[in-house]
Amino acid sequence: MKKFLRIAAGAAALTACGLAGAQSAGTWSARIGATHLSPDVSSGNLSAPSFPNTKVDAKSDTQLTGGLTYMVTDNFALDVPLGLPFKNDLVGDGALAGVGKLGSTKVLAATVFAQYRFNAANAAFRPYVGLGVTYAWFFDEKTTATLNGLSGGTQANPTTAKLDNKFGITPQIGFVYNLNDRWFIDAAYYKSFLKSTIHLSTGQSIKVKFNPDVFAIGIGYRF
Amino acid sequence: MEVIILANQFKLLAAALATAGLLAACGGGGGADTTPKAKVTSVKVMGDSLSDSGTFGFKFTVQGSAPTGAGSTMIWPERIADQYSQSLCAHYRAGDENLTSYQEVASCTNYAVGGGRVNPLGAPATSPLSVLVQIQAASKAGFSADDLVIIDGGANDAADVIGALIAAAKGNSQPLNAMVAWLDSKAPGTSAALMTQAGGDASKFAGLAAGAYLQTLAKALAGSIAQNVVAKGATRVAVLNVPAITKTPRFQMVLASIAQAAGGGDQGAAVAAKQEASFDALVQAFNAQLAASLAGQSQVAVVDFYTEFKNQISNPAQYDFDNVKDPVCPVTGVDGSGLPTYTFPTCTAAALSATPGKTSPDWWQHHVFADSFHPTPYGHQQMSQLVSRALAQKGWL
Repeated sequence: MKKFLRIAAGAAALTACGLAGAQSAGTWSARIGATHLSPDVSSGNLSAPSFPNTKVDAKSDTQLTGGLTYMVTDNFALDVPLGLPFKNDLVGDGALAGVGKLGSTKVLAATVFAQYRFNAANAAFRPYVGLGVTYAWFFDEKTTATLNGLSGGTQANPTTAKLDNKFGITPQIGFVYNLNDRWFIDAAYYKSFLKSTIHLSTGQSIKVKFNPDVFAIGIGYRF
Repeated sequence: MEVIILANQFKLLAAALATAGLLAACGGGGGADTTPKAKVTSVKVMGDSLSDSGTFGFKFTVQGSAPTGAGSTMIWPERIADQYSQSLCAHYRAGDENLTSYQEVASCTNYAVGGGRVNPLGAPATSPLSVLVQIQAASKAGFSADDLVIIDGGANDAADVIGALIAAAKGNSQPLNAMVAWLDSKAPGTSAALMTQAGGDASKFAGLAAGAYLQTLAKALAGSIAQNVVAKGATRVAVLNVPAITKTPRFQMVLASIAQAAGGGDQGAAVAAKQEASFDALVQAFNAQLAASLAGQSQVAVVDFYTEFKNQISNPAQYDFDNVKDPVCPVTGVDGSGLPTYTFPTCTAAALSATPGKTSPDWWQHHVFADSFHPTPYGHQQMSQLVSRALAQKGWL
C-alpha cells in the first residue's frame, strides 16, 4: 500500500514533464482504484447425501485494485486488471436458506482484456468495449461450524471444501475520461462467465455458476 | 533520459501491483474454522431412547468399540454437542429398563432415558421415564443463557396409543381405557364429551380419544418447556417432533399382520393402508399441537423430524441410505405380541461387519434402521444434520 502511494505521488510529480499525452499507439498507463465483485450465482444441487435442493449463494466483496493498459494502436488496447484477491463468503440457499455462512474462498481472477477504444487518441472521453479471458484461482477456502454440522463433520474431522480453478470469458464496457495529458479516470463494468465446482471433503460436490458482475473504477497515469 | 526514468517508475508500479496480489495470495492454506456462531458452554438433553447416551450402559443403536464414552457410537445429540466442543454422558444410570432404582450423575447433562415418554402410564410420578420429570430435574439443576437444550419426546407415547388402538380393535380395551381414565383425571368429563362426539360409536370414540390423548401430551410437553426451560433462563431450545413411526419396521410388520388378518391381497393392503393413514394422522395431530403450543417463542426451534424422516424413507438415495426396511441387528427373541426383539448390547459394529455371507463388511452402514424402531449410526448422523440446520437457521450454529 505504502509503496503504491509513494509511487503514485512520484508519478504525480512527473506530470509537469510534457510528453505526448494522448492514448496513442505504444503508450503505457497504470491505474489504481477499487473493484466491486458481486457474484450473480446460479447454483446446482449438492450431490447426495444431502437435503433435497441444497444450494449455495456467494456474497460480494470490494478490493483495492489497479491495472495496466498498453495501447497497441490508437484504438486497440490490452488491459490487465491487477489487485488484491477477493474474499467471497459462501452461504446456504435452497434447502439451506437462512443457515448463513458455510465457508469462504479467496479468488484471484487474472484477466487479460482486448479493448477497442472509441474516439480519437487525444479525445477527453473515450468509451470502450472489451473482451477478456479470465482465469479464476480459488484458494484459502475456509469452512464453518455450520457446514460441519450440516455435513456430519466433527471437531476431530471437520468438513473442508475445495473449489476448482477455471477459465471464463469476460465481456466488458467502460470509459476513460482524460483529466489532462497524464491523468485519467477509468471506469468499467464487466461480467465474468465463470463456473466452478465446490468439492466437500465428505464426498459431495456442487456446480456453481458465479457469473460475477464486476464494477471497477480507478485513477490512472499515462507514461 | 526522461523516458528511462518513466520506464523505471512504470516497472516499480507494475511490480508493486503484482507483488500485492501475489503476497495476498500466499496467506493461509484453507481449512475449517469450527467455532460456532453462538457461545454454548453446556448442552442439556431430555428425551427418549433416540437421545439416550447410556442410561442402561449402552446406546439404542449399533454399538461402537465401546458401549458408552470414548469409542462409542456418536448419537445425534452427541454430534450436536461435539460442534460446541462439549461431550455428553447419561445423567441417570440404571440396571433395568423400568428404572425401579437408579443413580443420578450430577455432572452429566444428558437426562434422556430409553423408553422415555411424555406420559409413562403406570410408572411412578417421579420416574425419569417421564420426559417431564427429566425436564424438571434439569430445571432444578438450573439453565443459563449459554446452554443449548435439546428435547425429543412423544414417539413412544404415539407408539403406545397405536398399540392401544390395535389392542382395542382385537377386543382388549384395557390400554386405551387407561389413557381415557388419565384424560378424565386431567379434565373431568372428557371421555363423556368424546363419546357424544362419536355418536356412541366405539371405534370412532377410540380414534377421538387417541387423538385427544396425544394432543394433551403435546400441550403438556410444550407447557413444561415454556415453564421449566424457557422461563428459567434457557435461550436456545431445540425440540424435535415425532417422526413418522408408521414407517418403522416395527409398525410395518404390525400393518402387514393387519393386512393378513383382513384377508391379504389387495383387500388386505387397502385395509392396512387405511389403518396406516389413521395412525399417521395421530402422529401428525401430536406434532401440530406441539408446534402450535411452542409457537411464538424465539428461544425455541422446532425441528421437523417427522417430515425429514418421511423424506429419508421415500427418497433414500438422496441421503445415501441403501435400505429403508431391514434392521441391521440380528433378531434375538419375540415379544408378547409376536414381534421380533433385538439386543443392542451385543449388536456391535464389529459383530455386524463380521456377519458371514455379506459382500462387504460395510453392508450395514447405510441402512436406516438398527433394530425395528431405532436408527443406525448413519441415521443418527442424518438426524444431527437436520438439527444442525435448524440451529444454524436460528443463528445458533
